[in-house]
Amino acid sequence: MAANVRVNWGKLLSRILLYFAVVFICLFILYPYFVMVCTALKSRAEIFAMDGTIFPKVTMWSNFIDIWKKAPMAKYMGNSIIIAAGSTAIAMICGIPAAYALARMKFKGQTAFLGFIIVSQMFAPVVLLIGIYKVMQILGLTNSLLGLIFINAAFNQAFTIWLLRGTFMSISAEMEQAATIDGCNRVQAMFKVLLPVAAPGIVTTLIFIFINAWNEYTVALCLISTETIKPLTVGINIFNGYNMIEWQYLFASSIFAIVPVVILFMSIEKNLASGLTAGGVKG
Amino acid sequence: MKKILALLLALTMVFALCACGSSSAPAAEAPAAEAPAAEAPAGEKVTVTMIAAQYGPKTGDWWVDFEKKFEAANDGIDLVVDCVSWNDIYTVVNTRIANGQAPDLLNIDVFADYQADGLLLPAEDWCSPETYAKFYPAFLDQSVVDGVCWAVPDLASARAIYYNKDILEQAGVSVPTTLDELVTVCQAIKEKCPDIYPWGIDMTTDEGQAAFAYYTWSYGGGFVDADDNWALNSAENVEAIKFAIGLVNDKLTNSDPANNTRYDLQDLFCAGKLAMMIAPNALSQQAGDAGINYGFAPIPTVAGGSVSAGVMDRIMCFDNGQSAEQMAAITAVVDAFYDDEPYSEWVLMEGFLPATSAGGEACAAADPAMATWIDIVGSAKFYPTAKAEWADVKQGVIDVEQQALLGGDVQELLDALQAEIAG
Amino acid sequence: MKQKKPYTHLNKTEPYLWILPSIILMAIFIIVPIGFVFRMAFSQVTKAGLIKGFCGFNNFAKVLSGAKFGMVLKNTIVWTILVVGLSTVLGFILALILNNEFKGRKIARAIVVFPWATTLVIQASVWKFIINTDYGALNTLLKTLGIIQQNVNWTPTPEAFFAWEIACGIFVTIPFVCFTALSGLQSIDASYYEAATVDGANYWNKLFKITLPLVKPSLTVATVLNIIYVFNSFPIVWTITKGDPASRTDTLVTYLYKLAFYNGKQGEAAAVSVIGFLILLVCASVYMVSTLKKGDE
Repeated sequence: MAANVRVNWGKLLSRILLYFAVVFICLFILYPYFVMVCTALKSRAEIFAMDGTIFPKVTMWSNFIDIWKKAPMAKYMGNSIIIAAGSTAIAMICGIPAAYALARMKFKGQTAFLGFIIVSQMFAPVVLLIGIYKVMQILGLTNSLLGLIFINAAFNQAFTIWLLRGTFMSISAEMEQAATIDGCNRVQAMFKVLLPVAAPGIVTTLIFIFINAWNEYTVALCLISTETIKPLTVGINIFNGYNMIEWQYLFASSIFAIVPVVILFMSIEKNLASGLTAGGVKG
Repeated sequence: MKKILALLLALTMVFALCACGSSSAPAAEAPAAEAPAAEAPAGEKVTVTMIAAQYGPKTGDWWVDFEKKFEAANDGIDLVVDCVSWNDIYTVVNTRIANGQAPDLLNIDVFADYQADGLLLPAEDWCSPETYAKFYPAFLDQSVVDGVCWAVPDLASARAIYYNKDILEQAGVSVPTTLDELVTVCQAIKEKCPDIYPWGIDMTTDEGQAAFAYYTWSYGGGFVDADDNWALNSAENVEAIKFAIGLVNDKLTNSDPANNTRYDLQDLFCAGKLAMMIAPNALSQQAGDAGINYGFAPIPTVAGGSVSAGVMDRIMCFDNGQSAEQMAAITAVVDAFYDDEPYSEWVLMEGFLPATSAGGEACAAADPAMATWIDIVGSAKFYPTAKAEWADVKQGVIDVEQQALLGGDVQELLDALQAEIAG
Repeated sequence: MKQKKPYTHLNKTEPYLWILPSIILMAIFIIVPIGFVFRMAFSQVTKAGLIKGFCGFNNFAKVLSGAKFGMVLKNTIVWTILVVGLSTVLGFILALILNNEFKGRKIARAIVVFPWATTLVIQASVWKFIINTDYGALNTLLKTLGIIQQNVNWTPTPEAFFAWEIACGIFVTIPFVCFTALSGLQSIDASYYEAATVDGANYWNKLFKITLPLVKPSLTVATVLNIIYVFNSFPIVWTITKGDPASRTDTLVTYLYKLAFYNGKQGEAAAVSVIGFLILLVCASVYMVSTLKKGDE
């Protein structure tokens, strides 16, 4: 009896600690966003006022409306979605077979290929700009969304392949072998057996690429010059003028830029959790 | 061991591809050079490309509007203006130039590097005599290299001391007319209003060269000597920078001059937290909107006179092997831009000063405060941007200021810089 | 845990067909641009960016003899080690917390995504705004709470500025580590823990004997990629200080950016990036060789 009570106390304490930690961490992470929202709701004068307050004294909801009038926000957002979704699709189309080959086949140059992938990441995009522009010029893709889609897909190959390779390797190959005995070819076995089981890993990878492509700034800045095909990250620079930075607008538009990503994540997170319990097969 | 070999293999691949890259480069440049020639017969429209600096929130819209109006009036010309923010314009322009994709027209602050590489066309090739005659001659002189003018000014801004009348009144002082007075005024403000920064200094990578200009010009020094040779370590300059650093060390300025940009200072000024700063005329509008009771005065010198600092941006034309037809189109764009009415509208829109005498008269007539500024800019000193080493000098003096803020010896730092630039 | 590979009766060319799309994609859009960087590093480049012939190791010599290069390199190493090290530890701990079942886990996980879902430029702008001496949100918050009376200058020295930049770097890197670790954690079979509990293992035993070894492979890759990304990270330092004052807060990437686009020395800038590449290559190969070797056993 006594032992029982002690166990419950320990459990309770660890529960309390857990909740405490979670709340603390969430508050900490949210703080910059809290600042962003409060600033976005202030007037310009109030942001820099001497007797600054945490919350706006006069709440300027109009800031959130103004940005849609001052900049083609909807267009920017649409472009960002096209770029991020397109990059994710291409990165997956190229990455899944490569990861599959690395996880399931043995071939010469395997390690060299893995090394090649890592090496491809070792230059900052800022450094590669001039070369990227040249490639785009040869392909006729400067100032086009398609060019950006390819670039983002390429930059995310390392992520895609490494993460998927790990996922595939942690899944036993036995089921696929069984499927081939039943008459599936390799491609069918991959689609029908491996990919559904690997769904959680694939979803994680999808989110990674989508977010990275969504946030890309440097290359988009140099490749895109037409206002109507700018992504959000580049477009909102309109509030960053020669004489002053319009913090309230910059932050208001940035909040809109976060929303789609968080919605996407929340809609996928469910699959992530349920998929994982279903797919806990370990080799 | 195998893995190390593999990585080495990957590395050699990079090198091999690099070799391919360099050998294929000339081939890639060829179609770019052909493009303009191929365009002319194919389409009836002549395309003029332009990169314009984004001066403020209204600039982009103004250019879109200008494009529409221009194309409506000039049937055969397709004008493509690309508006880029100041944060990114050098990255964008240099990337394009390195790839042989220079725009026809460029609106930016510097020109000497492009001219040194033979990328520009002389102004007389693309600027009609009527338009050319409109500019203040002193402004055109700033873009002359080897007796040829390579760029025309698009606008100017002049700098003066902005002061918060209320704060100065509260401290019982008036606006300083000499540098000694500046110190006493700052001390008085610090004493009476301890929460307020008396004086604003910006020594950041953004615009630290401006501070160098203000103080050295005040002391009778500057970037160059009378023969237009670099004279960065002159005795006057050393004194001037020591004076500025002294203000910081005596806590008479904003808290972090190496990181507070002029925009930060302007925001502080408009919030009433900064009593005085040197700023361009565009601050008038911002400070007025913020309800600050401001005034402006010329920058004092050590001798008791005044000096005015000017900043000027330019429009230049790149040599892309344009056809005669294209050149005519470019001239038409330039003429339309400097047409008195749209031009004064453009200049006033973001609060700058015109670079043409007609524009100046129009602006002065519209606003008496503007007349003062146009006088100031007429006698202003400019950065030596026509000199090839300017980019290095600019970064160099900023570095000297920041090292001095960290406790470095001004004389030694300037000697080293002078040796590096001129030696 | 040796992986048994099926389909040993492979057609020799088949694996290469599977990796071909990926190779083509990377070769065109990354490796060719990298080639241009190498070409520039060994060429004389004019201020406007035109290449005027081969110049051997001239650019490298100029860079290495530069007065600031040593300091910038040191900054970069400090930056990389602190950001990667601390964010890996903190991200892993966060993953352990979020791996528990609790009410609101979904929301908590979504919140952790926030720093990652924000463009770095904006993220860094917010931090700059928060720590500002004169109108910063942190001072306002502490004043409102009555903890301080006067505005505090949070960045009195270059080192303090750099520390804030590192903090910001950690803040934005944690979600990446956290979710990589989380996906590793979730694929651990619960039976391992059950068996260990039967054997009388406590929480820490389980953490170090089961969890860490099993999560390690996924964390290893994440760490290698992280080292590379953090080493090359540009927007945070650029937005907050631009390397000011006097390069005290510069990292290699901000330093070379200034060289290329402010000083017009694109050849030297390319040389800096090649040097950075070589450093990364050495570190990554040492790390990969040692960890992969262990992993293969």
